[in-house]
Amino acid sequence: MSNALPGSSPADRAASSKPELTAADMLRYGGAALVCVTLLAGAWLLQTTPGRGASAALSLLIGAALGVAFERGRFCFFCIFRDFIEQRNAGPLYAILTALAVSGVGYAIVFGAFLPNPASGRLAPDAHIGPVSPALVVAGLAFGLGMALSGACISGHLYRLGEGSGYAPLALIGALIGFGLGFRTWNWLYVAVIADAPVVWLPHWIGYGGSLLLHLAILGILAFALLRYIPPLPPRPARKLDITYLREAIFRDRWNPLVTGALVGVIGVAAYLRVEPLGVTSQLGSLTRTVMAQAGWLPARLNGLDSFAGCATQVVQTITDNGWLIAGLALGSFGAALLAGRFQPAWPRAGGSVTALLGGVLMGWGAMTALGCTVGTLLSGIAAFALSGWVFGAAVFAGVWGGIALRLHRWT
Amino acid sequence: MDRTLLRTAGAAVVGALVTLAIVAIFSSARPQPAAPLTVAPTAPAAPAAASSPREPRKFEDVVVSTEWLAQNLDNPKVRVIEVSVVPGVYERGHIPGAVNFVWTTDFVDTVSRNIIAPERFQELARAAGINNDTTIVLYGDNNNWFAAWGAWVFRQYGAEDVRLLDGSRSKWEAENRELSTRAPTYPPGNFTVRQRSDLRVFLPDVLKVVRGEDNRVLVDIRSPDEFSGKIFAPEGFQELAVRAGHIPGAVNIPWKKALRDDGTFKSVEELRQLYAEAGIDGSKPIITYCRIGERASHTWFVLSEILGYQAALYDGSWTEYGNSVGVPIANPAGTIWGVK
Repeated sequence: MSNALPGSSPADRAASSKPELTAADMLRYGGAALVCVTLLAGAWLLQTTPGRGASAALSLLIGAALGVAFERGRFCFFCIFRDFIEQRNAGPLYAILTALAVSGVGYAIVFGAFLPNPASGRLAPDAHIGPVSPALVVAGLAFGLGMALSGACISGHLYRLGEGSGYAPLALIGALIGFGLGFRTWNWLYVAVIADAPVVWLPHWIGYGGSLLLHLAILGILAFALLRYIPPLPPRPARKLDITYLREAIFRDRWNPLVTGALVGVIGVAAYLRVEPLGVTSQLGSLTRTVMAQAGWLPARLNGLDSFAGCATQVVQTITDNGWLIAGLALGSFGAALLAGRFQPAWPRAGGSVTALLGGVLMGWGAMTALGCTVGTLLSGIAAFALSGWVFGAAVFAGVWGGIALRLHRWT
Repeated sequence: MDRTLLRTAGAAVVGALVTLAIVAIFSSARPQPAAPLTVAPTAPAAPAAASSPREPRKFEDVVVSTEWLAQNLDNPKVRVIEVSVVPGVYERGHIPGAVNFVWTTDFVDTVSRNIIAPERFQELARAAGINNDTTIVLYGDNNNWFAAWGAWVFRQYGAEDVRLLDGSRSKWEAENRELSTRAPTYPPGNFTVRQRSDLRVFLPDVLKVVRGEDNRVLVDIRSPDEFSGKIFAPEGFQELAVRAGHIPGAVNIPWKKALRDDGTFKSVEELRQLYAEAGIDGSKPIITYCRIGERASHTWFVLSEILGYQAALYDGSWTEYGNSVGVPIANPAGTIWGVK
């Protein structure tokens, strides 16, 4: 996990560890151990529930793995985009490219087993392949602006919850409100632009092999073009590969973007193979939908919504697999942050609170309208060779760029 | 420029071209799908498909246990088919060797409200490696609802040996039996559709019963609240009728009563008694119906296949009957559409 790419500036590295353990260290290690025990015990308890127990337990652990990878690699779409836009540092972007490349390979393998003939006109089961409409572009732009306003995307806020961020809860509450607005505007958008929008799935035309080749070629070209935006590497002293080095590389220093990206890609494939494609908004949207349904605020019928694959929402009385994934994500990030000394709870400031909430609203509306966020629609969509993933990704990037140009991100 | 580099590049280009050529040859040599077979939808049923009920078969010959199935997975005479409602359930792990049939496209017509056209069904069955003498075992999620629908379609199109997995998919899972994510491929079978007309009835047939011109008996398998007209449909279901209640003269025996708590079928004796108590003893031909026709195929399977009674399914069910103009309706609860 060395810094072959300068994803982390030298400042990201904590001061070298002190030899003796302080009381605070004991508290941190104890806390991390407790998180581990909680996750394992939780998974064991879920697994014994009859019915869908195994997938709930697996979702919790997949979420935890994702939380650790996100926290250790700072896999925050906003920070990654901002580093490139503001500092012309493309290093962290390689985490996203690697995640897409690895998960693309994995998805092609899984697709071959799930749907041997992609030309049949059927889509791979529950893969995040969505309609490509103007609404998707607007949703992506709104989502990007919301990221700039609130300082992170939805998955970013979820893992920052584990780092003790004071803005994360506000942004997530804002996202719930945004989801509500999304449900209110859905019927109108559906009839106006979404119903007739094409659902473009590359393997339908060029098969899995062709899609994967094209997928890797595009990512390769992007990676090649971005090479010139990598700042010079900091000098690294020769070190012995011993237990201290490993501990620091794994638990203290920011992970190399390539390692982080590859892990996120593998986790994404595991999730699709065993439970459902990665996504972090399905449970949030379902929560809003359930509350609105009970309060009578939901339109009596959400046209066509439940026929699309994506971070599907439903009126539920229980915690879905996706809910366990989110819980695992926050807990995993919390454990990793404790070990790294990055758990620093802070109260939000008033001005920042308002923008975090507003940004959350924009992201919630965008994620509802686009049927997912940067994880569900961008990562899981592009990995599934869906055009909707690329379109949403480009729109989000443009939205973040616009938000930074307008200096919206200075508030939080 | 460096000669070695040029040579390497040349070799790479040649290698790529050869690979492309090999791929092109192999992909063009792939077997082409067989020409579609034409079976006129209205072709008169072959005489072999008699309209009289067949001899009651032994319970073991229409309902297989998980244990029997586990022992017969490699039996070439047996073809296992999964029909699950939730997408992704089959793909993330099915009984090894089982073929996936999707109820929304493989058992129904996707445009008109009808079961799948016979020629298309024959194609699908052959692609699954099914012959006329294959033992077809269906299973799925949701207590075999759509597996039973599939069994009804297979029987209508002339399959002789159609069985359901007792306890459905959930029993197989609960017993921690083997699952596979690999999609199987089989050499094409020779299944030929022989359409039967005695397992399905339409609205005019039902109206004859209501008017007393036919001595058949109607079995409504929905919940008592739907039957009485207190509610139009269970919560969350989109397909509705604008009138509440049931078809006059129908008896209400909810489908689930045929199952034990663990989802397996009750014994033949218990089943016979269950329906006899409501006056359904097989002495008169039976019509089952529900809301859209899928749960009623479960009860149809019990009555027709397990008990050997003469039973047909009215798949138009309440969403057709309760939406039809001018038909008599029984509505004990007195619920009126749109009026308090």
